[in-house]
Amino acid sequence: MIRGLWNRETVAAILLAAYLPIALIWVGHEGKEAFSRLGLSLLVVAIWHLVFMLARAQPPSLYGLATALAVAILAPEEIGVFRMALALSFGVVMGELVFGGWGRNVVNPATVTLSFLGFGFPSFEWPVFDLPVAWAAIPAALIGIATGTMPVSVLMGAGILGAGAVAAGYLSEPVVVASAIVLVLLVADPVTSASTSLGRWLNGVVFAALVVLFANGWAGAAGVQIAVAAAFLSSLSAPLLDEAALSVWVAQRRKRHGRS
Amino acid sequence: MAFLAFGAGLTPDFRSPPEVSEIEDIVTEEAAVRTQTGQSLRVTPLVAENDFVAKGAAVACLRHAPDVCFVAPFAGRVGRVSLLPGRKLSEIVLFREESDAVEHHDTDRAATPGGLQRLMQSAGFWPRLRRRPFGGMPDHAETPAAILVMAADTRPFAPDPRLALKGREEDLARGLAALARLTAGPVFFCRTAGPPMLAGMSGDARIHEVICGARHPQGSAGIRIHQLFPAGLDAPVWDVHAEDVAALGALLARGTLPMTRLVHISGSALRRSCWVRTHPGADLRQLTQRIVLPSPHLLMSGSPLDGHAARWLAPRHRQVTVLPRAETSPRAAHWLVAALTRSVVGRPAIPTAALTHAFGAVLPATPFVRALSAGDDETAMKLGVLSLLEEDIALADYVLSEGGQLAAELRGMLDRIQNEFAA
Repeated sequence: MIRGLWNRETVAAILLAAYLPIALIWVGHEGKEAFSRLGLSLLVVAIWHLVFMLARAQPPSLYGLATALAVAILAPEEIGVFRMALALSFGVVMGELVFGGWGRNVVNPATVTLSFLGFGFPSFEWPVFDLPVAWAAIPAALIGIATGTMPVSVLMGAGILGAGAVAAGYLSEPVVVASAIVLVLLVADPVTSASTSLGRWLNGVVFAALVVLFANGWAGAAGVQIAVAAAFLSSLSAPLLDEAALSVWVAQRRKRHGRS
Repeated sequence: MAFLAFGAGLTPDFRSPPEVSEIEDIVTEEAAVRTQTGQSLRVTPLVAENDFVAKGAAVACLRHAPDVCFVAPFAGRVGRVSLLPGRKLSEIVLFREESDAVEHHDTDRAATPGGLQRLMQSAGFWPRLRRRPFGGMPDHAETPAAILVMAADTRPFAPDPRLALKGREEDLARGLAALARLTAGPVFFCRTAGPPMLAGMSGDARIHEVICGARHPQGSAGIRIHQLFPAGLDAPVWDVHAEDVAALGALLARGTLPMTRLVHISGSALRRSCWVRTHPGADLRQLTQRIVLPSPHLLMSGSPLDGHAARWLAPRHRQVTVLPRAETSPRAAHWLVAALTRSVVGRPAIPTAALTHAFGAVLPATPFVRALSAGDDETAMKLGVLSLLEEDIALADYVLSEGGQLAAELRGMLDRIQNEFAA
């Protein structure tokens, strides 16, 4: 039997390749501290994947590396080893592994981890990014779009509404920078974003709309905090958007053919 | 979204040696009469072993619908009649003999739809039709809600129907007009881009020409049915290859059903690819004997995507694929590797552009694959599972590297729906 290429691990590897520009620029700017954060999150993710592999014969996924990378980049500074390990354990286990591993999860593990940190330890400072890191999100998105592993419509929906909001003066620079990175790393995850064409557009629009809402109505929130909260809520709404898009699709077919 | 739909589909890259352009006529020394792939039917054999049969003579008929016959592809002697338990047809093997004996059919009765249907059934044309939902040969008294004539095939290495139909335009037009009498609904003629193929047929308003793109699965019958006229439980849709429609035209004009069809032999285990005109049930070993590379190989009836290992050319197949036989490793896999690879059946499908295009971008691919693997019949029916068969999702199966898992899930779901609604 001959087999094609697009199994789970290929997609995970391509996504990792797409995230490389962001990772390299971020490591270049942060220096030694970046390595220790990345090492710590990799270790925690690897341990949990190993536990689920041995206990449940659940094959580990390369996407664990992407989770570790996203958390290392976006987690609050000075958070400490214990809190980081606790949040990552919660995110990776409850967000991904208990559902059966990457591909069956409903929320991105990194989004769960970061939301946990945001809710649990609100006094820590969220990171602020230099502009080059945000620019690196553009090649990352392009690689994802060109290989078909990132949903174009999510990126476009969020991009168009976001650009409109920036032009109208509703978004400040730190929020835009953080949102661009969060959009590529967390929202444009093929598994947990919406999976129908219309649903994806709505998913992107919902994310951008939530960012605009939080940026203008949430006093004292940091850029990353706003973006992560928006990512979390928009990924929770993705199944609903999908369901609505499917109903529209089925209704259109009923109208055209008299049956689905 | 029209400009996006135009390019939908994929062109999977398989290797095959360069081909010889001329078409060779081959009638193999042995042939087998079989049912369509995946169907098992109760039959009454009409011949005994060692009987002589003319070309086109009936060798078996359906047990509960004796009008529907299976016919001999050439004149010869019956070698073996093998039935499975329950008198289900396994195969009837024939040996060729030098003889011009041909079965003639009375075409006068074909003027009425009922008479035409009986002629098609007794002349052995019926097994060349396939119905959806659920697949297989149509019931003997079934009236289709629509008919799709496929003059396009986008599977890798598929023979070009234009080549097969060259010089047979009159037969094609006659066959198409006859098919249109069998249904009150539309008849769709799906062809590739290029010069029109139905020059004299513009008169009938029920015959619609549809142009398919060049990428697979644009020329796949199920994808087209899903788009043009979805099959339903009480709205069966038939599909038939245009070459067979031309054969029907010839049957109506001359009273004998042509048996040969254009077949492409390809695959990476060959010295050269080639074109032959041969008959259904042809012996694949004889067809490939002189052109196969000297190494273990796998003979498949059908394309590399949806074919299956076989000794005989399946009734509706127009492709033979010869692949190198994969070496089976003598050592057992490491226990850890085995635990990781064998324990999870039905790996999750990650939504990518490749998956969307594997369904020709005509349906929400990810919800459909998720409904299939979850066994959610209702959602899958809403998304159009009744129009699809294994061969239509073979590309998705290949793309996702599932190795037949998706097709098995689809078959299971279709069988379940069929049982549920038959009760």
